[in-house]
Amino acid sequence: MLAILRDLIRYNLEFRIGLFLVSIVVVMAALSVVSPYPAGDVYVVPPDLPPSTAHWLGTTSRGQDVFWQLTAAIRNTLFFGIMVAALSRVIALVVGLLAGYSGGWIDRVLMSINDTFIIIPLFPILILFYFVLRDSMSTPLLATIMACLGWAYDARLIRSVALSLKTREFTQTSIFSGMKTHEILAREHLPYVLPIVFSTTMNNMNWSIGIEVTLAVLGFTDINTPTIGGMIYWANQHTALVAGIWWWIAFPIGLVVMTFVGLFLLAVSMNEYIDPRSRLARMGGGR
Amino acid sequence: MSGAAEQAPVLQVRDLQAHFRTHYFGVNREVRAVDGVSFDVNRNEIYGLAGESSSGKTTLIKTIAGLLKPPLEMVGGSARFSFLPDWDAVGRAPPEVVRAIRWRHLSYIMQGSMNVLNPLRRIKHSFRDFAWRHLGGSKAEFDLRAAAHLERVKLDPSVLAAYPHELSGGMRQRVTIALATICKPEFIIADEPTTALDVVVQKDVLGMIRTIQQEMGSSVLFITHDMGVHAALTDRLGIMYAGRLVEDGETPEIFARPLHPYTRHLIGSLPRIGDTEQREGLEGTPPNLATPPPGCRFHPRCPLAMSVCTTTVPAMIETLSGHRVACHAVNPGMAA
Amino acid sequence: MNAYLAYFAKRLVQFVVVVFIGVNLAFVITHASPIDPVEQSIAAVTSFGSTAPEAIAAMRSSLQELYGLKGTVAEQYVTFWSRVLRGDFGPSLSAFPTPVSSLIGRALPWTAGLLIVSTLITWVLGNLLGGLAGYYQRNRTLKLMGVVAMGVHPIPYYIVALMLLIIFGFLWPVLPITGGSAMNLQQGWNWPFVSSVARHSILPALSLILIGLGSWFLGMRSLVSNIVTEDYVVYAETAGLDSRRVLGSYVMRNALAPQVTGLAMSLGGIFNGAVITEKVFGYPGVGTLLVDAVYAGDYGLVLGVTTVSIIAVSVGVLVIDLLYPLIDPRVELR
Repeated sequence: MLAILRDLIRYNLEFRIGLFLVSIVVVMAALSVVSPYPAGDVYVVPPDLPPSTAHWLGTTSRGQDVFWQLTAAIRNTLFFGIMVAALSRVIALVVGLLAGYSGGWIDRVLMSINDTFIIIPLFPILILFYFVLRDSMSTPLLATIMACLGWAYDARLIRSVALSLKTREFTQTSIFSGMKTHEILAREHLPYVLPIVFSTTMNNMNWSIGIEVTLAVLGFTDINTPTIGGMIYWANQHTALVAGIWWWIAFPIGLVVMTFVGLFLLAVSMNEYIDPRSRLARMGGGR
Repeated sequence: MSGAAEQAPVLQVRDLQAHFRTHYFGVNREVRAVDGVSFDVNRNEIYGLAGESSSGKTTLIKTIAGLLKPPLEMVGGSARFSFLPDWDAVGRAPPEVVRAIRWRHLSYIMQGSMNVLNPLRRIKHSFRDFAWRHLGGSKAEFDLRAAAHLERVKLDPSVLAAYPHELSGGMRQRVTIALATICKPEFIIADEPTTALDVVVQKDVLGMIRTIQQEMGSSVLFITHDMGVHAALTDRLGIMYAGRLVEDGETPEIFARPLHPYTRHLIGSLPRIGDTEQREGLEGTPPNLATPPPGCRFHPRCPLAMSVCTTTVPAMIETLSGHRVACHAVNPGMAA
Repeated sequence: MNAYLAYFAKRLVQFVVVVFIGVNLAFVITHASPIDPVEQSIAAVTSFGSTAPEAIAAMRSSLQELYGLKGTVAEQYVTFWSRVLRGDFGPSLSAFPTPVSSLIGRALPWTAGLLIVSTLITWVLGNLLGGLAGYYQRNRTLKLMGVVAMGVHPIPYYIVALMLLIIFGFLWPVLPITGGSAMNLQQGWNWPFVSSVARHSILPALSLILIGLGSWFLGMRSLVSNIVTEDYVVYAETAGLDSRRVLGSYVMRNALAPQVTGLAMSLGGIFNGAVITEKVFGYPGVGTLLVDAVYAGDYGLVLGVTTVSIIAVSVGVLVIDLLYPLIDPRVELR
């Protein structure tokens, strides 16, 4: 695993850029621990100050320091993304491996449900959830709902890997040696599936963070927990752009774009690494 | 018909070299897939090339056909066709010149022939794509010609309207043979065209290749690792090992008097009716061409290996009439 | 022919399954909620002053009727489905007494127009450029496009729309940033109205196109760079076919089939993007309708828009699926 990481850092520009961007974002999130201001409090600093040495990224109309507010916001946003990704990975793995391995009618039924979740527009469903839950819609609940809706695409990918694994020789050996289905899945197939899980995790985080930002900006989440979307929501509420408080909007957007591009580049470079064709070429193969 | 033009070989390969050059994740590699190969292919003959997979057969014919793509590069030597006298290799001629001879004079039956037909194109469109520009005429005339040619490989003209996935493997193989021969080219390269087929279909297809070749007077360069096929089909035969040609001559001659120990092994491993004894196997595996053994590349596995074999490359010598071999045990003291 | 019939039957079954699960999801979400929409509406009305208990009881009864929440859950379920099938979601509360269906009917053409036009542009352009980039891998301009696509593609719709809004609303105000058309125009097929609609749709369409372009570009590029190594492409090149013919009829043509499937698969996501983009630019489609209905607490309208969205996207997917055999005759493989 470490050797893979070293290879990627050394030879893959996309991975380097992605790692750099994500590192900045993670450092920002980590800084929230040493924030001089409680993230939930308002009017702790003079409002509407442009960026200066005292307040690096300025202050908001609600009297918050943009830099320190951002550290808390990006932490919560990242956390949300990780939560959704982790939960939906579990569903995607179970469904994907089960469908790919079992085949037959189990596969058909699971993939029919799977395709349904791919086809259905999830955003109106999420809005419907918010509409009926209102203030009961907490961040963990939203994460759970999104995980339950956002596993389908990756389950399909994992299934296709499981399908190809199924025909390999070692699976047959395992069956003849009397291993149970769940043992075969966990011990023999998981190591092959994990790299794909890893790269889809990045993409899934992008997806969930994107939706969270959007829902928050529309005011459809718990707006009292600082998140990137929440910051933009409050900036819109105070018509920050019209008032010329551009730093209130520009920096959150800049940071979240860094997050998206960084995670995406990590996923892409990892995919390229996993891809058997480029792996073969790397090992100097070919006829 | 006779005369100098008739006697001159259609293809003359001299000291041909082609290497794979790769640079991935910081590792440079150079694989000498074809390393100094020379042979001729005469008019109206089927020349066979034999050898294990990874012996460089496919690279050799790609180089000859001018199908080099990075990381594969032609490094040296020549492969001259009689119909392209101004250039010493197809790959060195300008694209428009190459385009004009492709299919008209030089056609190709590719390995993996199950997938060489565009799955989303009807057979008649494939025929038009490949041959219409050479044969000309109206669309209707051309389609009639394609239908007539399909009948030569015993296919119904209705095949023209079909998609590849609607045909069986054997039918697809016959379509590709028809496709490669419709322009009556002087030279056809066939790369393991029958490997994927079952034995009965294979026999059928080989007969067809022979018939069409004789009708048109074409030359065929036929590659397969299957010595049985060579015995049944080819006029002359070259044996490749680890990127080099080690022996060539008329096929019956080679089967009757194999000189190189590797050739003997290949022929000896053919099953015969009435076999009772266990066959002698060959020790070891083919060498890694990125770091080939010095001297004769076969020496680590050779039962006759001598000390000279580990240091000196043996020269390809015409030992018997029309029968060349590169081996220190056969031609002592002949270094390349 | 049987293969085609089997294929169509399979697609129709999948369509029914999607609509069934989707509509049931909407029912479950609304009925498993701890909050009773009837009580919520009553609270909203009564908060402005005291109302007689009899009046409240009458209101409760008529709201239950209106929302289809009368009787047992099983009865409600039947009522729900019969309403969905009739396309009748009762009157809207926020625009009383206009029926929900006519509000949606008014908004749907805007969304459909925006979505279809921008998706077609995105798909065609993205696949064309991506295909070229996969085929001519050494071309500098196409390489640069790939880098830009990688940078823009992962950004969510909302952020791109907001950035366009900032650029064209504040920094360089040359395009209308809100609404579907100018207010004072006669709606219909007249030039001032049509051109106004076109001008107003530029920014929402542009944000949809900017995002979508990247994913088609990158997807097509990697598809094509794999297809160029397929036997049939190598063989066609070997035969000296015109390189434009190889690119068009052999490479692109074969990459097209998975990209059509991809379009069907991502239609839902594209619709999500349209919902968000519409709200940013105040575009009068179902997206804006949905978000405003949430703000107004209009239960019938939210439920109606959600249900119609699910059905509309499923129909879109079905249409693409049914056209698929035109692209790829090997339907038995699907």
